[in-house]
Amino acid sequence: MAFTQVSKTKTASRSKRETVLSTFRRDYQLWLMIFPAIICVIIFNYVPMYGIQLAFREYDFTAGLTGGEWAGLKYFEQFFNSHLFWDLIRNTLLISITTIVVGFPAPIALALLVNQIRWKRGKRILQTTVYLPHFISIVVLVGLLNVMLSPNTGVLGLLLAKLGVEGNLLASVTAFVPIYVLSDVWQHVGWNSIIYLAALASVDPQLYDAAKIDGANKWQIIRNIEIPAIIPTIIILLILNMGSVISTGFEKIFLMQNSLNLPISEVIETYVYKTGIVSNQFSYAAAIGLFNTLINFTMLVIVNTIAKRVARISLW
Amino acid sequence: MASISIDKIKAKKPKDLLFDTFIIFFCLFIFFVVAYPIFFIVIASISDPTFVSTGQVLFLPKGFSLFGYEQIFADTRVWIGYRNTLFYALFGTFINLLFTLPAAYVLSRQEFRARRFLMFFFIFTMFFNGGLIPTYMLMRDLSLVDTPWVFIFNPLTVNVFNLIITRTFFENNIPHEMFEAATMDGCSHFKFFSTIVLPLSKAVTAVIGLYYLVGHWNNFFTGLIYIRDYNLQPLQIVLRDILLSNQVFAEGAGSGGTGGGYAQRYADQVKYGVIIVSSLPVLVLYPFIQKYFEKGVLIGSVKG
Amino acid sequence: MIISLVTIVACSNNSATEPQETEDGKTILTGLILKHALTKEVAEMEWLAEAEERAGVEIQWEEVSADWDQKKGAMLAGGDIPDIIIGPGAISDADFAQFTGVFEDLSPLIEEHGPNIQAMFEEQPLTEVLSTYPDGAIYGLSKYQRFWPETATMQFINQDWLDNLGLEVPTNWDELFDVLMAFKEEDANGNGDPNDEIPMDFAPIGEGGFGFFQPTVLLGSTGMTIVGGGGQGYFLEDGEVKNFFIDERYKEFVIFMNKLYANGLINDEAFTQDYSQYQAVARGEGDVAKIGYTFGWEKTDRFGLNIADQYQTFAPMQQSADSDDEVSWTYDYNQLNYGVNFAQISSQASDKEAAMRFINELYDPEVSLQVLFGSIGPNIEKTGDQSYKILPPEDEEMDPGTWKWTSSWADNGPMFISDEIDVELPVDMQDVEAQQEPFKQVFENLDQENDVFPGMMLKYSQEDQNQMTLVNTDFMNIAIAKFGEWVTSGGIEEEWDSYVQQVEQIGLPSNIEIIQTYYDDYIQQISE
Repeated sequence: MAFTQVSKTKTASRSKRETVLSTFRRDYQLWLMIFPAIICVIIFNYVPMYGIQLAFREYDFTAGLTGGEWAGLKYFEQFFNSHLFWDLIRNTLLISITTIVVGFPAPIALALLVNQIRWKRGKRILQTTVYLPHFISIVVLVGLLNVMLSPNTGVLGLLLAKLGVEGNLLASVTAFVPIYVLSDVWQHVGWNSIIYLAALASVDPQLYDAAKIDGANKWQIIRNIEIPAIIPTIIILLILNMGSVISTGFEKIFLMQNSLNLPISEVIETYVYKTGIVSNQFSYAAAIGLFNTLINFTMLVIVNTIAKRVARISLW
Repeated sequence: MASISIDKIKAKKPKDLLFDTFIIFFCLFIFFVVAYPIFFIVIASISDPTFVSTGQVLFLPKGFSLFGYEQIFADTRVWIGYRNTLFYALFGTFINLLFTLPAAYVLSRQEFRARRFLMFFFIFTMFFNGGLIPTYMLMRDLSLVDTPWVFIFNPLTVNVFNLIITRTFFENNIPHEMFEAATMDGCSHFKFFSTIVLPLSKAVTAVIGLYYLVGHWNNFFTGLIYIRDYNLQPLQIVLRDILLSNQVFAEGAGSGGTGGGYAQRYADQVKYGVIIVSSLPVLVLYPFIQKYFEKGVLIGSVKG
Repeated sequence: MIISLVTIVACSNNSATEPQETEDGKTILTGLILKHALTKEVAEMEWLAEAEERAGVEIQWEEVSADWDQKKGAMLAGGDIPDIIIGPGAISDADFAQFTGVFEDLSPLIEEHGPNIQAMFEEQPLTEVLSTYPDGAIYGLSKYQRFWPETATMQFINQDWLDNLGLEVPTNWDELFDVLMAFKEEDANGNGDPNDEIPMDFAPIGEGGFGFFQPTVLLGSTGMTIVGGGGQGYFLEDGEVKNFFIDERYKEFVIFMNKLYANGLINDEAFTQDYSQYQAVARGEGDVAKIGYTFGWEKTDRFGLNIADQYQTFAPMQQSADSDDEVSWTYDYNQLNYGVNFAQISSQASDKEAAMRFINELYDPEVSLQVLFGSIGPNIEKTGDQSYKILPPEDEEMDPGTWKWTSSWADNGPMFISDEIDVELPVDMQDVEAQQEPFKQVFENLDQENDVFPGMMLKYSQEDQNQMTLVNTDFMNIAIAKFGEWVTSGGIEEEWDSYVQQVEQIGLPSNIEIIQTYYDDYIQQISE
């Protein structure tokens, strides 16, 4: 106790006189608080990481995961030389970037919108409703899309036909990405807005009062009070989102695939499933996985650096 | 919208009136767009599936039948699944929060020198992992396979995404002066965290608690890979099995059997019913959490 | 710290366990059964309890009916498997190759404790070929199901519609076109609406290749004999392995399909619907049928009880009235009646003899019949020493197929339905048999030896298998997508040459070459 009571008003990082040991003694409580999380991550996340080397080795069951013959970049080359490589990259990026561009701002807008509603019952009903679709399993969601978009019998299919969008959208190469992304937004926008609602809830009511006295209109309140309150959350989430720039969901795309949209719907994850997992090619699957990880991680580092320079917000 | 009284509207600036009208219409639009498919799921779960897949069920149930629900609840495993999932979700979330909240607090302290390194140390695991096989072997060697503990202690026990969210919240909403004032009063980190930070952070605790809880609730992969004893399986696995047992020969009479016309016919009904059965409990929970998102509720709690 | 933990993990190994016994002296084993989702819990199967009793074992079963691929990887790589694994292809040849030493070579055990299995090998020599791995060992046992028909895919046409419009059953593609046109233009089902008829429909096509109930059966009209509905296109012609995806005759077939599609004769949701929509649409509304020409396993299964009588199966068509190709059809007998790797024993099993005794029980013809149809008593009546009658479902609303799958392991179990026993089949199987009639002629003319691709008999080395999988994945991505595109929007004639070139560049010729080598070896092996 005594250590912390010696209130060091200067923050530690600025003080050069401190040694590692002395900060350790000062911060031992903090270390204790974070210790369980560190141990947990070491055991469950770091220990199995030796498996990464599988990407560079032949999988040999009898020799164990780390005992297989060294294959170097063989499996990476195999992937790069695949006839589908560029198609896969293009499709994957197209789908994931569209998802980010459309899907990222949507929950922010929704949260701000919901926050404007003053009728409490209505607000709660709307909130609960938009939160609901998150719990629909992917199998059912895709089934729902099939039923609703059916050009002959589906509600949406018939509606769109009236609006002049003819033909079977599920069979269309151009409609695949919009359907995928919009249904994704539909499903997760409410759920993803929760975090922004929580951030908005912590805005000091005095700020609102002050703004009203100043005669600010609603739009000015949103712009000058509410958006600044959620900006840190927005930036952090944006950085994290960019860290999945080359990842798409597997199951939904896999279930939405059909022979007509295949040119656009074959992505890295479905390819890994078809070549790697179904036929036990663990090394190949590991290599493609590692390739993905490296790209995602690089993106994260880049965006994080930019955010740090521009907005002084950084993940680490 | 009854409670918005006329007086209030009159008293407003014209610009705000326009703004409110826009908000109302937009909210109604969102409401119907989101609500209709859900409403559809509900009516589809009690309608004859042949009508559903031929597009004859649009706004009202047709060919009313509760067969789907009968199928689901006739299976005693559902109750075991509910019990298991309830335990895994509640106890698991408790452990998750116990590990995550203090760590997030520590990582939000500017004076903590290792914070940047540790942050990176955590984030690294979001991207790099050893894959399923080494993780399975680890779980086996820790004797967690086929025990309830594997649902509690696993690579997602500390979910780094949630950790970052919480840390960001602490950084932005716990004023630094507050800690300085507290230390003046002789307050330790432990005490400051539990008596000041936590009560101030009900919103974020509610959010990540919900994230963890729903994560446990929807988790079926852990059960699939690590559990062999059916009495330990979570609800999602049980429901998936029920769903599949009705969705006979979805790929055609692949294994050379005759298609089960009887069961096939009701597959979709069970499918929609399963959604309702599996998500209802989490839905019921939401309104209780919602109150933490009300404007000003937090500051009020500190003052009071 | 991390490194030391890794070492600990890497060094730990599981050791074989001592056999455990129940109080009354039965050996306790662990087992895993990959059963159909519909199948009831194995604990409720009387025949199984009896078989375990006779073998002197008690098995703790783990029952899996979904996502086995994902579960299997971790289980095998962890070396952590139950004593006995049962199920259709639950373990693949590729697994035997990759996870060497995990599974026991059963040959010595069969010799000592497997008289029923020996009997099967003797009566149905093919089962021995199917069970034997290239290195000569037997890791997984095959089955013999005996009663299943030559093809899983039959074509049905609505006879009532033909009668209403005064038309004949088509005998070639041109006539089929005319018939379908009439179905479309006129009010064939007589409900007053000339636009609600869907002339033709087929089952959803997977991205991994063709399967049952798909229009590829029409390739038979061009003289090709495909197997299993088409798969990835490999077939056999005069002892030569070929692939129809780059065959000129396939091009003609696609052109014909495009002609049908362009004229609005094919369900415009055929490429996007799922299987339950496919089934639901064919059931019509009340007594009004919606579909004119389609494919399925059996009439009542495909159309439901209300309108099944309107349909009838008909013989495979010729390509045109003057074509002299020998007409064929998809040949699925082997796939439906034999299967590979239905039962295997872990090399770590605590008591391998006991495990073998139990598996041997399953191959006893009387037990096998119960594996397939359910226990004697509720599901089967024993009418004589070697004769049995399969009983109808207890619940009258249930169809016999569902009853079978609910009651027992059914087609997923290992079995030897000996040709020696007499069995009165359930109605659904009798119906299938009757409806197969129009196809018999074609199969009688079939040159089994030189024109049926014995896909399941070929056991590839791991390297060849991996190589072929990579090529096939890329190849299917193009071929299936192009099929859909060409049928719905045309363009095959302009694109054909560049398509063939692209597919060959991906490596299809090398795959065909590999398969040809294995095929030749196989032919040599069985002729010895």
